[in-house]
Amino acid sequence: MAKDDVTTPISLDPRGGRPREKCVTYIEGIDRILNGGLPVGNIILLAGTVGSGKTTLAMEFLINGAKNGETCCYISVTEPSSKMLSNLQTYGFFDDSLVKEGKLNIFDLTVINDRLGVERLDGTYTAKDMEALLGAFEDIVDELGVTRLVVDSITAVCYQLPDKGSIRNFIFRLSQFLSTFGCTTMLISETVVDSNVQTYSIFGVEEAVADGVVLMGNIVRQGDLLRSLQVVKMRGTKHSRARHLIELTPVGLAVVPLLKWGQDGGQAFT
Amino acid sequence: MSVADVAKSVIKSINNGDTLATVGLGASNFHEGTIKLATVLLGKKLGGIYITTSRPSSHIIRELEDAKANLNDLYFVDLVSMTVGGSTDDARSLYIESPTMLESILLNITLLERRLKSKRRFVMFDSINGLSIYSEPKVLKEFINVLANSMRIKSIYSMLMTVKEQTGEDLSAALELLSDAVIGD
Repeated sequence: MAKDDVTTPISLDPRGGRPREKCVTYIEGIDRILNGGLPVGNIILLAGTVGSGKTTLAMEFLINGAKNGETCCYISVTEPSSKMLSNLQTYGFFDDSLVKEGKLNIFDLTVINDRLGVERLDGTYTAKDMEALLGAFEDIVDELGVTRLVVDSITAVCYQLPDKGSIRNFIFRLSQFLSTFGCTTMLISETVVDSNVQTYSIFGVEEAVADGVVLMGNIVRQGDLLRSLQVVKMRGTKHSRARHLIELTPVGLAVVPLLKWGQDGGQAFT
Repeated sequence: MSVADVAKSVIKSINNGDTLATVGLGASNFHEGTIKLATVLLGKKLGGIYITTSRPSSHIIRELEDAKANLNDLYFVDLVSMTVGGSTDDARSLYIESPTMLESILLNITLLERRLKSKRRFVMFDSINGLSIYSEPKVLKEFINVLANSMRIKSIYSMLMTVKEQTGEDLSAALELLSDAVIGD
């Protein structure tokens, strides 16, 4: 065997090829799970049950990006941005100068809707409304130079779309232009657990269009609730598929592998 | 084996370049022994993380202060205080809500490791038996395996403290298999 053959390191990525540029989350443990970070321009469905830490994770993703000089944007659909801002003050990793400097931008979807004149009494968008909303998202990303975006939640937006075809079309169009702008996006999906099986979305459409699916949930272990995280799918990178424990620490979220707990004893999803 | 001999063996094990030791003490002098051992290591200018599963960290801090130990570079992962409604405001301690949250121990060690100033470091796990109250043997063995290998990767000298009278053959064998040294009773 030639000497070169011996010294050439074995690639750990079974797919070989050239790795895509990564958007580093700077969240303890998550970049390791994702083999260096999220592929730039990916649309990730961050799916999880109530209290599983979706908003915290998404917010830390934005804050860490902003601290590293990126322009980041959070679109709040389910609660007023003022309430979100006051909640942010409770995080040790938050720095309000990021908002003042325009590195972290927080928008209210209801305000965007008002300005576009698309708020309907029956709560359902027309095709024209959908176009106007997509246009507004595109303007925000383009004009501010946003490289990290979070929509919290896409489920609440989907409730305003008339059917599954519209949902698929909306997310597909959204992902097309965000990818073109190199904007890495987290769409937060509210899910439920039915008969110990957790879905990725309410409508069953979002996960098919997204480039990645990260599943968050609660595990009951002997009566205690633990938060878990698992990367189910991520186009453009090798990644772990193991379930991890996620915890909020004084310096932000941190992730460690979840013990198997003897395969089944005393653990269940909620 | 006296506590002084145990301490000497631990120092020898550190100097030998070991990273993981199982340290067994009898129930009658267990608490006194762990305090003495920590005091000796701190006196040798090692920085440390003390994981407590059997007594609140505030209690251990008091005992270490009484023993005139240097606490400048000692931190705690406390699995007791929150469970029993004790004090949880010591800046040196990170508190875990429930002893079933075993993964949190690893995570908090990682966080505290960043605070350690000393180049030579130790982790004292007091005690493996304390966890067995809440976790089944197979779970405990899984955790010990993960803990031991995590510490090995970090190259921090780690002592898994065991109470002789409470440690069965099966657990002893698992600990011996993982450890570079087995010290004490």
